[in-house]
Amino acid sequence: MALPRFSYLVPKNLKEACLMLAEHKDKSRILAGGTDLLIKMKNRIVQPEYIIGISNIPDTDYIRVDREQLVIGANARLSAVAEHPRIQRYFPALAYAASVTATVQIRNMGTVVGNICNASPAADTATPLLVYDARVVIMHPEGERNLPLDEFFKGPGLTVLKSGEIVKELILPLTAGRSSSNYQKLSARGKVDIAAIGVSVCLLADENEIVTQARIAIGAVAPVPKRIGRVEKYLEGKGLTQASVKQAAQISMEESAPITDIRATALYRKKMVEVLTMRALSSSMEQIRTK
Amino acid sequence: MTNKQNPDTQQNVIGRSVPRVDAPHKATGKALYTADMKLPGMLYGKLLRSPVPHARILNIDVSKASSLPGVKDVIIGKDTPGIKYGNWRLFPQTQDEFPLAMEKVRFIGDEVAAVAAIDPDIAEEAVGLIRVDYEELPAVFSVDEALAPGAPLIHDEIEELEGNISIDRNIDVGDLEAAFARADLVLDDTFTLHAVSHAYLEPCAVLAQPDTEDRLTLWTSTQTPYIVQCLLASTLGLPENHVRVIKPHVGGGFGGKMELRPWDFCAAFMARRTGRPVKFVLSRTEELATGRRRHAIKIRSKVGFKKDGTLVAKDFEAYLDGGAYNSMGPTATFLCGNFGAMLYRYPAYRYRGYHVYTNNPPAGAMRGFGAPQAMYVSETQMNIAAKELDIDPIDLRLKNAMVTGDAIEGVTKISSAGFVESLQKVAEMSGWKEKHAAMPPNKGMGIGCYSFISGGVFNWFNTPYHFSACEVRAYDDGTVHLLTMASDIGQGSDTILRQILAQSLGISVENIRITSADTTMTPKADLGTWGSRVTLMNGNAILDAARKIKENLAQIVSLKFNLNVIHEIAFADGRVFAKLKPERGISFAEAVAMWVTANRGRELTVRGYYTPRDKGLTTPAYSFGAQVAEIAVDPDTGIVTVEKITTAHDCGTVINPMAVEGQLEGSIQMGLGYVLSEKFVMRDGKTLNTTFLDYKIPSAEDMPQIESCAIETYEPEGPYGAKEAGEGLAIPTAPAVAHAVFEATGYRCKELPITPEKILRATGKLME
Amino acid sequence: MSKVNITLHVNGDTYSIAVEPWRTLAEVLREDLNLIGTKIGCETGDCGACTVLINGKSVTSCLSLAIESDGKEITTIEGLSTQGDTLHPIQEAFIEEGAIQCGYCTPGMILSAKYLLDRIPEPTESQIRQALSGNLCRCTGYNSIVKAVIAASKKIKLKKPLQN
Repeated sequence: MALPRFSYLVPKNLKEACLMLAEHKDKSRILAGGTDLLIKMKNRIVQPEYIIGISNIPDTDYIRVDREQLVIGANARLSAVAEHPRIQRYFPALAYAASVTATVQIRNMGTVVGNICNASPAADTATPLLVYDARVVIMHPEGERNLPLDEFFKGPGLTVLKSGEIVKELILPLTAGRSSSNYQKLSARGKVDIAAIGVSVCLLADENEIVTQARIAIGAVAPVPKRIGRVEKYLEGKGLTQASVKQAAQISMEESAPITDIRATALYRKKMVEVLTMRALSSSMEQIRTK
Repeated sequence: MTNKQNPDTQQNVIGRSVPRVDAPHKATGKALYTADMKLPGMLYGKLLRSPVPHARILNIDVSKASSLPGVKDVIIGKDTPGIKYGNWRLFPQTQDEFPLAMEKVRFIGDEVAAVAAIDPDIAEEAVGLIRVDYEELPAVFSVDEALAPGAPLIHDEIEELEGNISIDRNIDVGDLEAAFARADLVLDDTFTLHAVSHAYLEPCAVLAQPDTEDRLTLWTSTQTPYIVQCLLASTLGLPENHVRVIKPHVGGGFGGKMELRPWDFCAAFMARRTGRPVKFVLSRTEELATGRRRHAIKIRSKVGFKKDGTLVAKDFEAYLDGGAYNSMGPTATFLCGNFGAMLYRYPAYRYRGYHVYTNNPPAGAMRGFGAPQAMYVSETQMNIAAKELDIDPIDLRLKNAMVTGDAIEGVTKISSAGFVESLQKVAEMSGWKEKHAAMPPNKGMGIGCYSFISGGVFNWFNTPYHFSACEVRAYDDGTVHLLTMASDIGQGSDTILRQILAQSLGISVENIRITSADTTMTPKADLGTWGSRVTLMNGNAILDAARKIKENLAQIVSLKFNLNVIHEIAFADGRVFAKLKPERGISFAEAVAMWVTANRGRELTVRGYYTPRDKGLTTPAYSFGAQVAEIAVDPDTGIVTVEKITTAHDCGTVINPMAVEGQLEGSIQMGLGYVLSEKFVMRDGKTLNTTFLDYKIPSAEDMPQIESCAIETYEPEGPYGAKEAGEGLAIPTAPAVAHAVFEATGYRCKELPITPEKILRATGKLME
Repeated sequence: MSKVNITLHVNGDTYSIAVEPWRTLAEVLREDLNLIGTKIGCETGDCGACTVLINGKSVTSCLSLAIESDGKEITTIEGLSTQGDTLHPIQEAFIEEGAIQCGYCTPGMILSAKYLLDRIPEPTESQIRQALSGNLCRCTGYNSIVKAVIAASKKIKLKKPLQN
């Protein structure tokens, strides 16, 4: 299964990469870790004439955590994110999701940003990023723009990136207060395949354990990984009880529109949305209680 | 572990976990597999495969491909001698394949053309330039469709066939009606067993090198170099002796590499036409989409019991989805029937087995060949009956278990059976009595048993030669050279056979050099690695040769020490000596040196042979075993975790404990995949999951705790009492896990695999 | 596009070669450098047979462009024995524990084991299984491989110079 032929361009920095993208438009693709793009190319799903290799650009694989935010650079590997102690501490859902994406080897090669730009509805890291209110910083030849991650996905494999644009980094605000978050994944074999379903939850609660802010996102049950606003609104202002968790899970299930494909049926996926939402919320409930 | 009944034991090579002879090369990256091999001037081959499941070929235009710079040859069916082939040479009408399609294509992936070019990319590009005009025909993708009135005939060119049934097998034992009349409980169940992939890690590859005087050499990833040699010779129209097939290291086969394959032929044919070596390496996509599979079988089984649990009768009907060609279907059809009646005594048994053509990718031999499917049914019904009769499942089995000396009339005899002992041992090891009926919620314990052949006696390949042969050359430096066509594909035969020879000659394993699986250098024949035949059959050929060496050397010692005729001569610790007076002896090396002198310069070389004559109607020996699975089910997701697997098994004498353990553990991996996670997703004959991402084989994280015990019976027909280990073990995991799942959830699976969704549906957690 | 000149440091040796951009590292190691120990099992990064270490990290070389390894340190299975025929403790352990049957997964499996032991010298069984979950094996059922990694970790510990 050979790769199709292409020219390989080496930008010195991300700005140059943007210029190259702008010049070659849809005849070009960014290559970071390569774990998604190269497979697509082997299957002739895409055949770019120009590959813009960014993985060796210095100072792009940073992971910075300060008092305000976490910033993940374009080339930060999934394994680096999974093993970063402060991501594990402050963004446990993301660290966990990164640690269960694919295999050890793929995690050493693939990037979180690349995973997001690939825009698979099933990407493990997508839902944690959504519930952490991640913002995407996009660089283009004239400058930068940024937008919330939940405005970044357009459809399966599609993002809002325009010609000449590249994602520079992801920014996650450090949520204050008594927050708890987790990621629940369902896999049919071991722990290493593309999520049949994934649910992420991030809750902020006050001293009385009333939810002040709820974020919930589900992967692989819609054309894009998405936040479920109805559940978030339902939970905000309520205490987490078995009943409210059950009801929230029910709403989750109603809001999801999974398809049947070779990995799972729609019916099963829908049911698993309920199960995983309950587990995610119950786990958060526990975390809040023990803080 | 000693062999109580073996008088020959003076040193313990048998029963020793001798490390594999080829392990260091494999651990250091030195072992050569076919794809690693290169020759000067080598061309790269690629195949054009049919994109449609059933069609007539109207026209093939290769002009653009041929004229692509770098392309050295393009061939289609019409360019070839057009000679059919198939493994079952004894019944020529079953030989239904051409190397490249002639008039028709019969499954998506059927090979239509081949290209040889100076690099693989050019070859691939050229394949894309070949234009084929197909006239599509109606296609069928299931046994039901293939047998429906008006179904298209897949092999209309075979005159002897009516409809799409290519083979049928009948077994009739006893009076079925009368026997059923005596039953207090009759179960009547239909099961659907599915197709799975061998998923060997090394995709098929071949390298053909042309030689002068119309000869050629083929290196190929195969389990059966002899079969490839014979069939390649016949399809090329060459004498067998002109075709040399050599087996390099092989990365697993499990039955999927025991035939002549189109790329073997195309490589050889194009090598001859171009005068250059030609290499093909298949991709994983090709393997998963178009490679051989385990037969999908629909089995209806009616079985009768008395209320005390005694079996009275069984009526077993199987329809095998053979796919587009027979491959090893006839064997699967027979063994399914044989094994429907194994393990327990059935006073009456009827089997009707039908191998049906469909336009699916062809099924072939796969570890167990029909027995795993048959025994999934048998074992599950035993468990159903146990429930209905309120008898413990192990007790029910003990009540009916086959023992040494039993027979299935007209079918087979059981020369050694440690089945009862296996059942008792596995019950003890797993704590069955205390735990089985008292598992905590969402946990279950289940049992599955097995038996399997140690090679078959039936000469379906119609070889005029011995089933197994070897040559042993002894040297005056105390070393020996063993030459055998037996094929080590990872199961370790190169090591095991050396152990057998070492034990017999009383020399160390390290002093035995082995040359194996080269059809020119190793004596005719060895039928190959399948049906678990190598240890027993080639092992016996080795013992035959060893006997002859020993006879020759005994003469030397007898003469040298003027031994009284009553003396037994022993071979041990590198010496040849009078057993009762060990000081009257010399070293093996010296004895050989003297023999050479006594024979005026002749090299001490002997041949050993084995063909199972008068060894029953099916196999010289059966293995037996029992396995208990403990599982946990997540009641909300339906996901099953297999926690522990306990096995007690009878493979006769254990020649190499580490190798047997390895076979057991590998079998469990395969069995788990079969029952829980592996399946092909098909749509109109097209395979949708063609990567390991979507065709899920168990990983290191999926394996349970494994405990096992070998029950050592002594098989009279086996070398040092050994019989098979490694194919039978692939059978019990599926029914054991299925039984455990039933115990935990109430879901009785009659259509594999068990999926989380099926469990949730059965437990009412998933409603439309 | 024409070939690109790159320098690969493989197993301590430096190779200056010219390759097309679309060649994967697996292909270049096998075909251009004749290091055939790295195996190809699936070409899509799912089976791990092509695992090598790049700057010490395990990767599936079938999904890595050779040109992107320019200037990097690559370790293949051939690079494990430091001197001639001496076996690395991991290789020894695999042989002794019966962790090798057909051997096709073995090079990748050993390198993944090395990656693990380099970072976690005394891993638990669970850590071992997780670390090897990207390397598929169809012959051994993995248990002997896990035992081999445990044995290797003990061997490596014994070989380390004693600390006060």
